Amino acid sequence: MRPGILGILLYGILLLPPIIGLLEGQMILHMLVQLPLLIFSGWLCGAAILRRMPNYRAKWNGNGIPGILVIVFITTYWMLPRAMDESLVFWQVELFKFIGLPFAGLCLRDSWPKIKLVGKSFLFLNYLSMFALMAWLYIDAPVQICNNYAAQEQQLLGWGFLFITATMIIYLVQMVFTDQSEST
Amino acid sequence: MKENWHNTAATILVIIFGVLFLYATTDGFRAFTEESARVLRLYEEKPQFPLLELEDSKGRTYSFSEFEGKYVMLTFIYTACTDVCPKLELNLAQVYDQIPSKYMGKDVVFLSISFDPERDDVKTLEKYQQSFDSDGETWRMARIQDEQELEQLLDQFGVIVIPDGTGNFSHNSAFYLVDPKGKLVEVLDYKEPNAAAALLTARLAER
Repeated sequence: MRPGILGILLYGILLLPPIIGLLEGQMILHMLVQLPLLIFSGWLCGAAILRRMPNYRAKWNGNGIPGILVIVFITTYWMLPRAMDESLVFWQVELFKFIGLPFAGLCLRDSWPKIKLVGKSFLFLNYLSMFALMAWLYIDAPVQICNNYAAQEQQLLGWGFLFITATMIIYLVQMVFTDQSEST
Repeated sequence: MKENWHNTAATILVIIFGVLFLYATTDGFRAFTEESARVLRLYEEKPQFPLLELEDSKGRTYSFSEFEGKYVMLTFIYTACTDVCPKLELNLAQVYDQIPSKYMGKDVVFLSISFDPERDDVKTLEKYQQSFDSDGETWRMARIQDEQELEQLLDQFGVIVIPDGTGNFSHNSAFYLVDPKGKLVEVLDYKEPNAAAALLTARLAER
């Protein structure tokens, strides 16, 4: 199946009310499944959409930095505990979730190949430390951070973030200590 | 060179809009959690306490107009709670003890409202009231039996209660101060009973 169709299919599934209910019912599924899958759906559709606007891309996102900044701002917003809570209460925030995150995926598709290795490393390390901070925050917080989710759920999410952080560190370590000269 | 110009403009625009966006969505970098946003909203809205029916630990039923002309210091609890509520109520007791007795009952009433009316009947409330040494008069414990009225109040005051399936609830906590006209005027940190007591005393002295 073509990735674009797969992306539309994935987006369609994520839009189904029972799926929304299921994923938003649990804090960890909300943050670590729904949000990333929305980005992924935009990324999948990215190639097909971007192919239709080559001039526009080259003009406004030539070095990839505007696109990367869009991603940084959108994902930073979704790291706020408040954003998750409000997407359950206000339809405007929910709408922004379903538009903004796929758009971030689209920007990722366009920008990632354009930015230099330094930029890539910076982003990777930035998100690594951000996820580690989130893990610490959610595991260690003495109070309920999200009004719509119980305290145990936020701890589970913290462990989820810790797992992601650990995976990123392992990836980093194997990058550093294995010979990359042939593969690049 | 022209391409560069577009690219730079896009970068600057994204940064400006990004910062403005984060500024707007966090109420000017003040509220990063829904709880702090809720408190800010309550201060803006100052909701009126609805005239619903309360039943207290002495079995009396009355509407909120019973407290007209007095400040009411409110908390929301359920008696089966083992974590936050006892702490919340112990701290409320500390506030209670620091308020000069000349105001007590005349200018201010303390009220703990249960959001678990099924289990918190008059007897259970009475037991709970005694365990906190409250007299049931100047510090009352009450339930709201009508489910719709309860929902409406919790909604207006932004109290979010999540049943966890095992008979317990997760909920946000605070001291709520309602003024003599029935308007919510303060949402106070329940972990700072001294600050809450000072603020309430100052308001009482102003009258």
